[in-house]
Amino acid sequence: MTILARPPEETTAKKEQRRRGVTERQRPLWLLTPGGVLMVLVILIPLAVALWISLIDLDQYTLRRWVEAPFIGLDNFVESFSSGLLNSIWISVSFAVLSTIATVPIGIAAALVTQNKYRGRGLVRAVFLIPYVLPSFVVATVWRTMLQPDGVVNAWLSKVGIEGGLWLTGPRSYWALILVEIWAAWPFIYLMALAALQSVDNEVHEASAVDGAPWWPKLRRVILPYLRGPVLLACLLATLNHINNFTLPFVLFGAPAPEDVNVMPMIVYVTSFQSLRFGLSAAMAVLSLVLIAIPLFVYLRAVRLDVHEEGARR
Amino acid sequence: MNSKKLMALAGVTALALASAACGGGDEGGGGGDGKTLNVLIAANTQYPDEFAAWQKDISTKFKAATGAEVKFETFASANDELTKIQTSVVSGSGPDVYAVGTTFTPTAYSTGAFVKLGDEEWNKIGGKDKFNPATLGISGPDEQNQVGIPWVSRPFVMAYNTDMLKAAGIDKPATTWDELGQQAKQMTKGDEYGLAIAYKDNFDPWKFVWGMSVQAGNPLVDGKTAKLQDPKVQKAYDTYFGWLTRDKVVDPAAVGWTNPQAVAAFAKGKTGYFMLTTPTAINSLEQGAVKGKWKFALLPTVPPGATSRPSNGVEAASILSGDNLLVADYSKNKDLAFEYVKLVTDQETQLDYYKKFGNLPANAAALQTLSSDPQLGPVTEAAKKSVATPFTGAWGDIQLALTNVAVQSLPDLGKGSISTQQIDARIADAQKSAQTALDRAK
Repeated sequence: MTILARPPEETTAKKEQRRRGVTERQRPLWLLTPGGVLMVLVILIPLAVALWISLIDLDQYTLRRWVEAPFIGLDNFVESFSSGLLNSIWISVSFAVLSTIATVPIGIAAALVTQNKYRGRGLVRAVFLIPYVLPSFVVATVWRTMLQPDGVVNAWLSKVGIEGGLWLTGPRSYWALILVEIWAAWPFIYLMALAALQSVDNEVHEASAVDGAPWWPKLRRVILPYLRGPVLLACLLATLNHINNFTLPFVLFGAPAPEDVNVMPMIVYVTSFQSLRFGLSAAMAVLSLVLIAIPLFVYLRAVRLDVHEEGARR
Repeated sequence: MNSKKLMALAGVTALALASAACGGGDEGGGGGDGKTLNVLIAANTQYPDEFAAWQKDISTKFKAATGAEVKFETFASANDELTKIQTSVVSGSGPDVYAVGTTFTPTAYSTGAFVKLGDEEWNKIGGKDKFNPATLGISGPDEQNQVGIPWVSRPFVMAYNTDMLKAAGIDKPATTWDELGQQAKQMTKGDEYGLAIAYKDNFDPWKFVWGMSVQAGNPLVDGKTAKLQDPKVQKAYDTYFGWLTRDKVVDPAAVGWTNPQAVAAFAKGKTGYFMLTTPTAINSLEQGAVKGKWKFALLPTVPPGATSRPSNGVEAASILSGDNLLVADYSKNKDLAFEYVKLVTDQETQLDYYKKFGNLPANAAALQTLSSDPQLGPVTEAAKKSVATPFTGAWGDIQLALTNVAVQSLPDLGKGSISTQQIDARIADAQKSAQTALDRAK
């Protein structure tokens, strides 16, 4: 603030120059230091350590003197590929994408349902948030109980004449995981969509009314375009959340997991904390990070996260 | 501006360093009475109140004896504990005494972070002789390199429904696996089943396979060689899966059971045998319909397909199961640590612990006083006939590989049949990862 208060005797030209200097060159960047230091401590240093660990042969035998653990270059990365990492990545990505695709219509529909005022809307909104506020652990435990071979789900299915079978092992476990993830994750899309709906100007609604637009064209051509940015952002965040979800598969299926749900966080966990191959698991984690970062980067470039109009102009 | 920038940077750095230093943990003070001993121990979710009371009681006794405080830190799962060990091992500070599960002891040993016990250390805690000799089987790779001090035993036994056995005309529980299968068939009718087995449990399956293989003369690990691809191991899996698919003496829902679910099923009183349980299940069983109608028995010790154990077979009634106490190498309070170990392995403390939590004493004299209890007779016998799993840092991986064979077979079990080829293929995978782990063992 003190910098901006100029002595009156300065010429206009000088002033111009000085102002540009202030805004461009002498911006008080040092104010970013606390955040920067935190970033370094919390993100960059651990990331660097993870990179280093991925290059050394760190296991229970070398853990104690981990600084002296033998450097083995890219061996861990090579071994990752023969340890089923590619399969896990495929499972993780497909599971995450399918879950996101399924939650979007549910989330938007729920947001539309609670957009207009009516009696009990507050209650409906609160109920919609229940899956979101429940801890993942609780969700997984409850679903695990329901999906038992002799559990509630199979009991219901048999009432309508469907043979339930096993949900927590074998190929069906994959669909069980998606089902539970959808159940737990759709309110996130709902929240983002609702927030976007709330930001639609009243004039837009009025203009549509004046033009006599029926509800469906109004929804499709007027309202939904407003949702595009926030919902795409929500999709991105949701997909990343699905990929990183460890609690759900771990509690639902336990470790070792059935092959069909051996998602990335599970394989990294088992390699690290059950096989105690810290080097190998760090390599797996680094590879997963890189592999996720590529589409993420492409995607971010494509959408540019145009949530606000200003964002769109830049 | 520059000086301001520097000052700000310095300030923030100082702050960051200070907060980093805060994470360093609180070690005991310089000397004398003000010391604190840190003990890492498993949380007891079954009896939390009693456990808190026990900790308080031990603290009081320890303070009276040594003048020092005991601070208990609990972990919820083996993985929590492992994480704690890892961070402590890397940083060289943390708990002074660890309570570590028996099968995890080899892994802990392989980190080299614990005090090796010589005569002096054993004498400090009252001598090696005070322990049930079987429990020392997993203290270290050999007599000279022991790190684990036996604390409690949780030997595995089976429970049987006395009424159901009687009704089927069976006068005594099975002592061979074949006999067990036969008796189970006799008892299976309608909604009653011969056996309760937790097929989906993450720890149970390998214990069956290990037990049957050891009894048949294959300890699974021979030096640096994994011996999973072996007819004896195959026979073990075949028997274990066959109860469900071939003999149909297990409730088909057991494909989804973990151990507590199998306990619950047996407690309903409609199952002849509940395989693989420990005295910690007594309370659950006494609260069920089976109350007063069940007894413990030794697990069979004659391998499947045989009427007597082969000459190289081992009479393994149970894996050597329970907890060991390990003293951290980095500890500055080693003497106090051994004082603590002495206190909790003394006869009186051990019996008290048994009464509160159902964990059997590792103390030989304390165990002897329990063997006259008719309900516990078989359990104390199982404690004496427990056999240690191979002492190698690779055991964790081998255990995981053995369990994985069962996990990946569950869909087939659900369909009601599994072929020998399928079992063989999965055993081959297990052999591969077991051998890889052994190759890495140092």
